[in-house]
Amino acid sequence: MQAQNTLLNTEYSTDAQTEPIEHRFNPYQDNGGTILGIAGEDFAVLAGDTRQTVGYSIDSRYEPKVHDVGDNLLLSANGFSADGVQLVKVFQNQLKWYHFDNNKEMAVSSAARLIQHMLYRKRMFPYYVATILAGLDEEGKGAIYSFDPVGSYEREQCRAGGAAASLIMPFLDNQVNFKNQMDPESNGTKRRPLKYLSLEEVIQLVRDAFTSATERHIEVGDGLQILIVTKDGVRSEYFPLKKD
Amino acid sequence: MEVVLGIRAKDGVILATSKAFTRGISVLKATDDKTRILNDYNILGFTGEGGDTTQFADYIQANIQLSTMREGTELNSKAIASYVRYELAKSLRTRKPFQVNVMLAGLDKREEPFLSLIDYLGTRVDLPYAAHGYAAFYTMSLLDRHYTPDISVEDGLKLLDMCEKELVKRFPMEFKGLLVKVVDKKGIRVVKGNE
Amino acid sequence: MSINAIAKKYSYKTLAERELEDANEEYEHFVPNLSTMSPSLTLPPISQPTEFLRAHTDDSVNPECKIKIAHGTTTLAFRFQGGIVVAVDSRATAGSWVASQTVKKVIEINPMLLGTMAGGAADCQYWETWLGTQCRLHELRNKERISVAAASKILCNLMYEYKGMGLSMGTMVCGCTPKEGPTIYYVDSDGTRLKGDMFSVGSGQTFAYGVMDSNYRWDLTVDEALYLGKRAILAATHRDAYSGGSINLFHVTEKGWVYHGNYDVGPLFWEIKEKEGSFNNVKV
Repeated sequence: MQAQNTLLNTEYSTDAQTEPIEHRFNPYQDNGGTILGIAGEDFAVLAGDTRQTVGYSIDSRYEPKVHDVGDNLLLSANGFSADGVQLVKVFQNQLKWYHFDNNKEMAVSSAARLIQHMLYRKRMFPYYVATILAGLDEEGKGAIYSFDPVGSYEREQCRAGGAAASLIMPFLDNQVNFKNQMDPESNGTKRRPLKYLSLEEVIQLVRDAFTSATERHIEVGDGLQILIVTKDGVRSEYFPLKKD
Repeated sequence: MEVVLGIRAKDGVILATSKAFTRGISVLKATDDKTRILNDYNILGFTGEGGDTTQFADYIQANIQLSTMREGTELNSKAIASYVRYELAKSLRTRKPFQVNVMLAGLDKREEPFLSLIDYLGTRVDLPYAAHGYAAFYTMSLLDRHYTPDISVEDGLKLLDMCEKELVKRFPMEFKGLLVKVVDKKGIRVVKGNE
Repeated sequence: MSINAIAKKYSYKTLAERELEDANEEYEHFVPNLSTMSPSLTLPPISQPTEFLRAHTDDSVNPECKIKIAHGTTTLAFRFQGGIVVAVDSRATAGSWVASQTVKKVIEINPMLLGTMAGGAADCQYWETWLGTQCRLHELRNKERISVAAASKILCNLMYEYKGMGLSMGTMVCGCTPKEGPTIYYVDSDGTRLKGDMFSVGSGQTFAYGVMDSNYRWDLTVDEALYLGKRAILAATHRDAYSGGSINLFHVTEKGWVYHGNYDVGPLFWEIKEKEGSFNNVKV
């Protein structure tokens, strides 16, 4: 009887749909990873680890997520990697059209505003990403712009995003903006004066940040990709991180 | 909790609305006017969901004025009441209904005092006295006891004072007093609350 | 061809007219058309888009939600004899994580108008810059600066269009025009729009109101008013954990707005405590 029923109702079966169907629409996934951007006086760096994970599984040990998108701009969107890839691709396409329309390079401030619009356009169905844009401003000074998933943005001296942001950001506050550091001479009355860090100092900071984050966060590790933008163009460096 | 109270007297209508605009746990404004003047002899009091209230009242006000301009004649109170009810009933059957309760006060055909209570579901009742929300629990008994059909506007205002005193005494929310408007043969005037 | 079209064809175009035309020109492949009231927003491909958004972004409904949207703020603005004072904190939080201590919560819509930011950071930032473009278009079309009433109503109507879709915004639109004088409008994502003399918005609003209500007078001097704004935000940063960072101060007059500096709450607290002899719950 059961078999007959199945045979008879193959095409227009109502029985086939009595099983409950999963209705929750969940198009998001967390792929871990961390990114970090620091601006110097005449350069900016944007770094990211190269591990990609889903839950406790490591899917790739080398999947770079910091992109040289042209016009001396670096872009990385960390979080759900499919959304991140999509965002970078859409940006590169828009940049191409910008060249056709205006026949000039896109300024980093314009790129930032464009990214705001791209993210906000999906306000009701957001890209699940923390985004950082790095480049040089009109005066040639290093610029870092950071974005929330729906496009609110701010120019900053430094910003960490992604899984280990909460581990790295306090370190950066202390080492880049000298937060809670005092001038030893003043007996705790004067703040340590701010100064621009050199490229060597910045790269050392970035490497320290990532080796430490690798020790304390399971979604961070394998490799460190650092992209450096100066007036001479974009340069890339790679440093291995622990593989466990 | 907003207060809207109306009393129909023999020579006019009284409409009182609370002056507090509250959001969350803060009073954002203590001089709010929850009424719109529709024409020389009709006013609309309203309460409900923030945003919906003013959009709806402005919409009604604009359409009443538009109709006056197009037709060259003013709508009487009963016509306005049925128009407002129609708009609420229509809105209720859309994806995003207006959550607004209103009270219409006016002189029908510039003669007959008129008071109508319409809720967001489109339920309309024309009454001698009425209130929206919790204020009704405190004031209806007073009005049942003291209201007479031949009450004058002057005595109506005294009755309203009793109602306000009761609300101040027993109502747990601060509503920053009442803004009181009267519609009678002389037109619409504010009698209290716009100091 | 209509007479207007012929006249237009042969008449000289002013700079303003050309700017307006450029603004109206459509770049289909590019970001939203400026002349439309609302840019198109992508919706998730399901029957109840708002439910989807809530499940994924509202941490009060789903504490495990992946996309955290910044909430928690104190902002204030009040009118007085010398114009308007606007003061805000600078902290952005996502749950208990402090996402930033350097947020600009006063949005400079144009040299005459200021908007404040409470609720979703992106919603405020995006729509208030959009409001700036609408105000510029108004100037080009009408050869007259927009009134605060009209500007705030553009924003309010936009918010009402999106009501129930999950936007979150509580803002004060502050400005000064010859016919209105110094004016403040409160606009929020419910579609509420209120004109008033004093508003405070955000999780720390009650603390700011407490200080403002007890020390406010209409005839405050400019310096007193600026101090009151700063002091009220300080009180809020002290009691509301979601507020903090630093304080940004603005003064609005008929000549436009003037920035009156950024004050780090860290040192400012001790300075004011010592000067006033206040905050006696804290030991030195």
